[in-house]
Amino acid sequence: MSSMNIAIRNLRHRKMRTALTVSGIVVGVAMILVLLSLAAGTSTQTSGLLRNVIGSEITVVNSTNPTFVTTTRSGFPGGGFGGGGGGFGGLFGRGNPINESLVSSVENVSGVFVASPQLSTSGYVDGVNVLLYGIDPGSYTQATSGGLTLTQGSDLSSNNQIVLSSVTATNLGVTVGSQVTVGANSTGGTKYAVVGIYSSGTTFGFQARSEYIELSDAQNISGQEGLVTEILVKANDPSLVNQVASDIDSISGVTANIANAVAGSAATLTNTMTTFFIVIGLVALLAGAFGVINTMMMSIGERTREIGTLRAIGATKGQVMKMFLSEALLIGLIGAIAGVFIGVVVSVALPSLTGAAASSGARGFAGIIPGNQGKLLTTLTAFNLVLSFALGSLVGIAAGVYPALRASRMDPVEALRHV
Amino acid sequence: MSEAMVTTVDLQRQYKRGRFPVPALNGVNLTVGRGEILGIIGPSGSGKTTLLNLIGGLDRPTKGTVDVDGVELDKLSDAELTAYRLRKVGFVFQFYNLIPTLNSVENVELPMTLAKVPAAEQRKRALDLLDAVGLEARADHMPDELSGGEQQRVAVARALANHPSVVLADEPTGDLDSKSAKKLMEVMKSLRKEEHATFVLVTHDPIVVAECNRVCAVRDGRITRESRIGEDGKILDGSRFVMDALF
Repeated sequence: MSSMNIAIRNLRHRKMRTALTVSGIVVGVAMILVLLSLAAGTSTQTSGLLRNVIGSEITVVNSTNPTFVTTTRSGFPGGGFGGGGGGFGGLFGRGNPINESLVSSVENVSGVFVASPQLSTSGYVDGVNVLLYGIDPGSYTQATSGGLTLTQGSDLSSNNQIVLSSVTATNLGVTVGSQVTVGANSTGGTKYAVVGIYSSGTTFGFQARSEYIELSDAQNISGQEGLVTEILVKANDPSLVNQVASDIDSISGVTANIANAVAGSAATLTNTMTTFFIVIGLVALLAGAFGVINTMMMSIGERTREIGTLRAIGATKGQVMKMFLSEALLIGLIGAIAGVFIGVVVSVALPSLTGAAASSGARGFAGIIPGNQGKLLTTLTAFNLVLSFALGSLVGIAAGVYPALRASRMDPVEALRHV
Repeated sequence: MSEAMVTTVDLQRQYKRGRFPVPALNGVNLTVGRGEILGIIGPSGSGKTTLLNLIGGLDRPTKGTVDVDGVELDKLSDAELTAYRLRKVGFVFQFYNLIPTLNSVENVELPMTLAKVPAAEQRKRALDLLDAVGLEARADHMPDELSGGEQQRVAVARALANHPSVVLADEPTGDLDSKSAKKLMEVMKSLRKEEHATFVLVTHDPIVVAECNRVCAVRDGRITRESRIGEDGKILDGSRFVMDALF
């Protein structure tokens, strides 16, 4: 008969009480697991949300002689002004481009959501000096969260098309469907079709004179075949931007620049929410712990004479302590196992149970993302499973320490006199 | 009476009730011989249980010494006293005090488990003892499936598990009918022979007294008289005081 066996016997002896005590731990553990899963799920959701709202967080440039980079909160593309001499290029000096093949290296870095290459160069549209951005329209839209704010027309879909800023279009007196001449110099060039006009948000400066064409067109015009000046990168999870950037940095020849404000706030938001959820879960578990203490104290009160007998026939304080700690540990373990099980079931079921609640006032972050209205998203992670299980078992045994100590310190003579 | 198994010298114990010391034992000099069955009788509050607790190492004297089988109890630490109770003493209580969640054989095994006796050895010894108290057929019964007399016989078997020097019983028949009480005393007498056990029994019960070798009467914390009892249960020295104390 080990102390564990005796503990099992005693717990089975009072099944109802054991079940009620265990359920206190079950509720606490299940709650912690569900809340942790919700926190993880919400974090994913928030990341997705922020990814949709903010622009690219990382701009990858040549590490030895980078192009001038600006990355604004609105996600306006980082402009590189290293083009072919004169004009705007002359204002900002000249940076070395990077090989286009590095785009796939950057894409392969873990945590990268999208990497979009871009070649910025000085050029002329109908004899007017502008900044020409060669972009990959598909990835550009993802990397900048929606791409350009078009007021007319559509995005680039093939070569020899151009999207003009509203300022340039007005100056040139052209509109969607017009033909313009695009080239590296003020004279000569190739005919491009104006397919779209975007709002630049300003009437002067380089932003008002940034025109967009296909990457390969820009490479042709500037004579930089197979080269790009920047790669715009967006991370899967905005809170992991720093990690992603440092991983990209380890690729030779490039440097990753971060828009720090964005990454920091995303991480803070997620952490605050997780902390909040964990605190609620711990409070629930604490209530369960008091249940265990209460049951153990009651049990020790009832078994005073038994404890006296054990001490009289030669059980050491340690042996008595072990018997009662074993009971508390068992309560904790059973509670933790059942709690994790229920927590998993609830975490898995929650998203499908909460989808319809959108109109009834779930106005959290979930509501902002179309198609996810009111839905509580959960993410089960192995770490959270282990954490909630360990917390439950630990709380069980911790709650048993004081009662077990009381039991082991009873005076055997007094305890034997107890009726 | 052969050599002494238990010797107390000027044993005193006072309790504190508030600020006032209350004497429970006032200098008891007692010798129990090896293999003896000693009865201790006396009115409630006379100090009988206190004397038993001091011999059993559950309590410490205010003054005086207890020597059991060569062990001087006053020289032992708390932990050593616990080990002493485990290996040298067997306790039998008025209300049996079996562990309700353990069956008969497990209850008898309990002191051996505490003493870390190998499991197979425990089981053999426990079954032998249950056989000796006539309960081999009740080995897997839980305490609440046994009569009071049967429970007390299991308790006696448990008390003997670790081959103690002395078995201390506090009112062992106090909760039993006379038939069960007689059966219990028969068991004790036979175990005394088989196990060479020494018994000190606190009792009010004439059935118990009749089976003792010797009876001491305790009053006001002292041994006031003592008498030897014959094989036929009669008092040998002709005095009737022992029975006077009983009735």
